[in-house]
Amino acid sequence: MKKFLLLLMASLLSSSAFAQDASLAEQAKAEGRATFYANITAIEPIMEAFSAATGVKGEYTRISTAKFVATVLTEFEAGKLMADVVQAPLPVLEMLRERGVLADYSSPAAAGYEEWTRKQGGIQLFGIEYVGLIYNKELVQAADVPKRYEDLADPKWKDKIVMANPASHATTISWLIGLKENVFASEDEWRDFLKGLAANNPMFVASFGPTPAPVESGEKLIAISMPKYIITKAPAPLDWARVEQPLLGTPRAIAITSKAPHPNAARLFVDYWLSSEAMTMLARDVGEYVLHPGIFPPIEDMDTARVLPIRELTDEEIQKWGEEFQKIFKVS
Amino acid sequence: MFKTRSVLTYSLILVVGFLTICPVAMLFFGSFSKGLGAFGVFTLDKYVRAYTDPALARIIVNTAIFVFGSASVATFLALFLAYLNNRTDIPGKFMFKVISIIPMMIPHVLFSVSWVLLLNPTNGLLNLIFKQIPLLQDFSLNIYSLWGMILVEGLLDLPIAYLIIAPAMASFDVALEESSRVSGASTWRTLFRVTLPVLRPAILAAFILGIVRSLASFAVPSVIGMPGRVQVLATHIYQMISTGFAPDYGKAAAVGMSVLATSVTLIFLYRYLTSESEKFVTISSRGYRPTVVELKKARYPLFAVVALLSVILIVLPVLVLFYTSLVPYSMVPSARAFSMISWKHWADVLSDPVSLLSLKNSVFLGVVGASLGVSLSLLVAYVIVKVRTKAAGILDSLSFLSFSFPGIVIGVGFMWFFVRTPLYATIWALLIGYIATYLPYGIRPLASAFVQVHSHLEESSQVCGAGTFTTLRRIVIPLLVPGLVSGWILMATMFVRELTLSVVLSRPGTEVLAVQILRFAEDGLWGRLSALGIIMIFISTTLVILATLVGARFKPVEGGG
Amino acid sequence: MEIRISKVSKHYFSEGKTIKALDDVDLTIPANQIFTLLGPSGCGKTTLLRSIVGLETPDRGEISIGDEVVWSGQRHVFVPPERRGLGMVFQTYAIWPHMNVFDNVAYPLQTRKMSREVIRRKVEKTLQFVHLAGFAMRPATKLSGGQQQRVALARALVAEPKVILFDEPLSNLDAKLREETRKELRTFLTGLNITAVYVTHDRIEALALSDSIAVMREGRIIEIGSPKKIYFDADHRFVADFIGRANLIKARVTAQDKETTLVDSALGRLTCQKRDIAPGSEVTLCIRPEFFQFLPEGEQTSTNIVHGRIESLVFVGEAYEAEIRVKEERLISKIDPDASLSEGDPITFHVAPEHCLLITQ
Repeated sequence: MKKFLLLLMASLLSSSAFAQDASLAEQAKAEGRATFYANITAIEPIMEAFSAATGVKGEYTRISTAKFVATVLTEFEAGKLMADVVQAPLPVLEMLRERGVLADYSSPAAAGYEEWTRKQGGIQLFGIEYVGLIYNKELVQAADVPKRYEDLADPKWKDKIVMANPASHATTISWLIGLKENVFASEDEWRDFLKGLAANNPMFVASFGPTPAPVESGEKLIAISMPKYIITKAPAPLDWARVEQPLLGTPRAIAITSKAPHPNAARLFVDYWLSSEAMTMLARDVGEYVLHPGIFPPIEDMDTARVLPIRELTDEEIQKWGEEFQKIFKVS
Repeated sequence: MFKTRSVLTYSLILVVGFLTICPVAMLFFGSFSKGLGAFGVFTLDKYVRAYTDPALARIIVNTAIFVFGSASVATFLALFLAYLNNRTDIPGKFMFKVISIIPMMIPHVLFSVSWVLLLNPTNGLLNLIFKQIPLLQDFSLNIYSLWGMILVEGLLDLPIAYLIIAPAMASFDVALEESSRVSGASTWRTLFRVTLPVLRPAILAAFILGIVRSLASFAVPSVIGMPGRVQVLATHIYQMISTGFAPDYGKAAAVGMSVLATSVTLIFLYRYLTSESEKFVTISSRGYRPTVVELKKARYPLFAVVALLSVILIVLPVLVLFYTSLVPYSMVPSARAFSMISWKHWADVLSDPVSLLSLKNSVFLGVVGASLGVSLSLLVAYVIVKVRTKAAGILDSLSFLSFSFPGIVIGVGFMWFFVRTPLYATIWALLIGYIATYLPYGIRPLASAFVQVHSHLEESSQVCGAGTFTTLRRIVIPLLVPGLVSGWILMATMFVRELTLSVVLSRPGTEVLAVQILRFAEDGLWGRLSALGIIMIFISTTLVILATLVGARFKPVEGGG
Repeated sequence: MEIRISKVSKHYFSEGKTIKALDDVDLTIPANQIFTLLGPSGCGKTTLLRSIVGLETPDRGEISIGDEVVWSGQRHVFVPPERRGLGMVFQTYAIWPHMNVFDNVAYPLQTRKMSREVIRRKVEKTLQFVHLAGFAMRPATKLSGGQQQRVALARALVAEPKVILFDEPLSNLDAKLREETRKELRTFLTGLNITAVYVTHDRIEALALSDSIAVMREGRIIEIGSPKKIYFDADHRFVADFIGRANLIKARVTAQDKETTLVDSALGRLTCQKRDIAPGSEVTLCIRPEFFQFLPEGEQTSTNIVHGRIESLVFVGEAYEAEIRVKEERLISKIDPDASLSEGDPITFHVAPEHCLLITQ
């Protein structure tokens, strides 16, 4: 009940904030469209809802994290950046900001967000790409479900884990470093955990995308993966391990571009994106963990879970640790 | 004629060179530049860092085993099938056409995933079946291994090998074999001492194309190699560009350069080894009809082998795909799984406007791209085979340039290039990129078809008063119809499922099927992915049938007057 | 139409060596004749033919057909083959397998953009001419070798060119068919007002078909003449040897008569065809096998009597082919098939002075 009230209040607050500026909406409409480059997936319904609500056509291009900087910088330097709005992990947007790709815009729709979500130079955090332990609830006994991350090092999980390649998958690398800095008491304990995990011989895949399938089919039992799959892959028998420690993830950020072909549509889009309407869709339909107060993905117990952002890591750190993990996990 | 020919040669070198050198040149500059773009301050640093990586030696060994293994598998199977189809009385010859084409249409990622579902060590379907068989209880196959990669990549490269070897086998002058038989050699001895050596150019072409293809392949190393922790150059490059948020494509290109160098060397080697090829397999107007080897007792066992191959190559993967598209999530087949079957994924895909747009774009690219691509290939193949000057050799090597660059990097090269042109972010950029990259798919079948057209047939047309282009139109092209059809089919099916370039170059409005499929894959939505995959196979099949029908229309004798 | 070839050279480079396919060839092919280029394989005859057609370009020189220069090295003239208005029959016939007989033959007319009706009439007429009336709608590949050959001829003739070229057109036919086709070809060609250039390595074909023969060797034309001149009266040892079977015997000129030349040779003293050669010169005496005239025992004539012994005797149907030993020389000769001779028999023969040919080159 309390949750519901909060949700209602929040949505009332932000939708009023969204509808505030009529002249912006008019100008945006005149521009006709807003182009959105994003690494987040499955957001087509939000694009449609945006078009329906504003009369401005929302166009979405999915660009994977690995190609994001290369693509945007190439276009930007050639004066052909088509994106009005960009969305990517925070470190990516930071990099773009340093190159002058982004414009400083603080959306009125972000007013209700916590202070730490407002970053320098118009970058707004709106979600956390949260990582958790996803298991097959038909094949794993309730008693066996890990209660702490360390439980993954238990030999009973040998040959039963799937995870993204810790030598190359940036989000997984960041997550492991996040564990070191936020969860484990000492680096030694953390290294023991890594060794135990490596000894369980997890199966490596290229990214998070292929992690749930082996768990669903029973090829593996548990995945270091994203809880959002519990929503998107329903009715697959997936559940998340409620570990005592917090969940960690890379912050998802959004910003408008400095030479946006449709600057007003860009603002309107960010306003809409950060509104409770869009964030509710993101949480409800895609299972994303959003930073809009009071909105949670409809995953059991997620509203009470602690979800922390991992600090920003530089590429040098990620590459250095990638090499380190390559040794620990013996990827040849 | 001589003027026309050299004008043609040089203008083609210009066109093909422009298409293929530009992206590679961008990557070349990028690999020597500081920073993340194509142009920057000169540095050797990227090469130093790329080539002093201690893991590289192991990776190169793996890569060598992988590419030679898969090229051998593909070539051997192609030879086997082509021989059975063209030279023996094996029943069910229609199967060969199907085997040779269908795997072209299955997206490589899906094909690899199907094999994982069949042969993973935990609950791979085939392994589960082995467990039920008394003597095989402890027997299980692990697809996540080097041999698994070789097998799957070999099967994926089989169609192109077959399409190169089969026509040569079909137009073989049987007198060569007969004289060997008369000299007292057995069927087997004749096969190894006469048939195979005479077919050497085609076999080598298939083998080298197989190597070049598997060097650039990413799907198999990523889906099968990564879980098996077998790293090859393609996954090594992937690791380079995926670790961190600002990947350095220049450094990846530095590694790519040695792959390119290897491919180009192989192609030169191939040209050298087959420079005498014209005295081999040729047909003149008299038309040879190869004798048919009677298989006798081996007829049905061999038929069974072919049937098994087609099950493995086509039926299993397509069935697995179809099954995956119907169950709500990844499930091992069971009574419960079948009770949950629904058309939900299909409905989702067919009601998704982006999927429908991507369908339309891919069909456009397939049809228009393949038609333009084959037209260009026709001219290039003509110059390569019939003009045969040094310039023609350059043209041949040029056509392989962007084809042999590792797929994950070449897309960025094209992006660096197209962003400097007004074509950027249009469907034409995709079209040109496709044609430039997959030119060898059009050129190879046409070149082998050209080799088989005796030069007298053209010369007599010229003496009869026809110019170069009339001769092409009235004599050469009609004789090349089979080559044109297979070139068109190769290109069209390739374009319909093209991923590596599309994923970099597609923008709102220019989405294509494979990119949509990748999007589903990244979200782990295997059901929708399979549904769209089957739609894609269906589209390719339709295109292939249409092409074959059109080809058949042109084949019969023209009406009088 | 006359064809003039002046100072035409063509070199190939192969494995570091220069091969002179044509070496400064000067040749005039007179109008409305059947002119044969004869020589062993690799002598340059096909290269010369293809240069006339325009399928190959020489390195130097000039070629004109009638009044038109079709190729000139200095003046940079090159008329492409399709605008030379010639007809050609290829060794492989080059029948287009995807067309029927009618389309094959109609092709040259179609490229000349003639009306359908004219094409139909001309093709019909030409097919009739080559005895293929009624074959028009047959697929070309379903014909026999001889019929294909005639389709190729029809196609070469249909546009009524002033010059027609043949590149060993009979070499793919079997012996009997070759003989028939050769005769046909001769009839076809003499009925037309056309210059025909014919390339072959078969001397019988050359002798039977030609008005003139040019014998080639190593890119050069050695000798030109009528078949009879080439056969009976060659100036060159190579030509005499190549055009037919011959006994070539060393000899030395001893004296000159008013109508004959006298030589000493392994066969003894012989009276030969008159040649202007100084007494004392070394020459080659050429006698063809069919000109040995055998004398019954006891019969005597005045000159050119030779005695020998039959070394071997092979019956080949229309004659015996005999090897006769005269001192150190072995001669091949033809003997009537009804002669009653056997190996080892002594034999006496006479050679008419006009068949004793003296060659200095």
